[in-house]
Amino acid sequence: MSEQVHNRLAVVRAERKVSRQALAEAVGAHYQTIGYIERGQYNPSLDLALKISEFFGLPVEALFSLEPFRPLTDEVYGRNQP
Amino acid sequence: MTTTRLTRYDRSMLRLMNDRRAATWYATAARRRLAVAAHVTLTVAIGGLMTHFFLAEGEPLWSMAVTAVLLLPWMVATGVINGATRGLLELRERALDERQSAERSRVLARSHRVTTLLLAAAAVSLLITGGTAGDAPKAYAAPLLIAVLVVHWVMPLWVAGLRAQDEPADDDDVLEPGVLGR
Repeated sequence: MSEQVHNRLAVVRAERKVSRQALAEAVGAHYQTIGYIERGQYNPSLDLALKISEFFGLPVEALFSLEPFRPLTDEVYGRNQP
Repeated sequence: MTTTRLTRYDRSMLRLMNDRRAATWYATAARRRLAVAAHVTLTVAIGGLMTHFFLAEGEPLWSMAVTAVLLLPWMVATGVINGATRGLLELRERALDERQSAERSRVLARSHRVTTLLLAAAAVSLLITGGTAGDAPKAYAAPLLIAVLVVHWVMPLWVAGLRAQDEPADDDDVLEPGVLGR
């Protein structure tokens, strides 16, 4: 059972200028774990996903999804998928 | 990491195991495999020399001297593997996060499977040699048992070393202004 959970953690983290280490310390995880989540090599537990979402003040579905995310610019400017 | 408070020992071990000064030694999969191969070789050599020390009748001192010399690179190789795994097997459970705890469980489960097979192979070979030479089980049981015990002890380290993944790319690039078009 290794369902791929997509995330846009790297984008949001970069946008908020938060280092992996800072995020890891805030949510009680190892900084490598944050990196592996971003690379799609590790699916966080619901507990960790909620903690990360809470840290950024975003709903969990803004960061994690079972479907691939559309590019943020498409969502912001409403461009349809090609 | 769990919500349990870390002791001073936990924190010092956590710092030690996450010290990245020797990171180049285990930065790639090839280097990690090399470290594990060196550790296996040194473990076998040290085990062989100690067996020789206990079984040989003649002049066993040289074997103890060589063992003492080999212990130093063995400890270095152990440190390299522990560094590569960020102390996966050395840290207490409460100092690990959920991914590391799950990885430790996987490593221990795989090591258990391998050492179970090894024990079965050792038992079968002892029984077969016992069938051909009657006193063989009595003569070889003790050294074989010790050898399997040592392998059982270090197998998780070898498995963890081989399963360790590359460090996620440094996130300085991601945080550079302009990367996101800002």
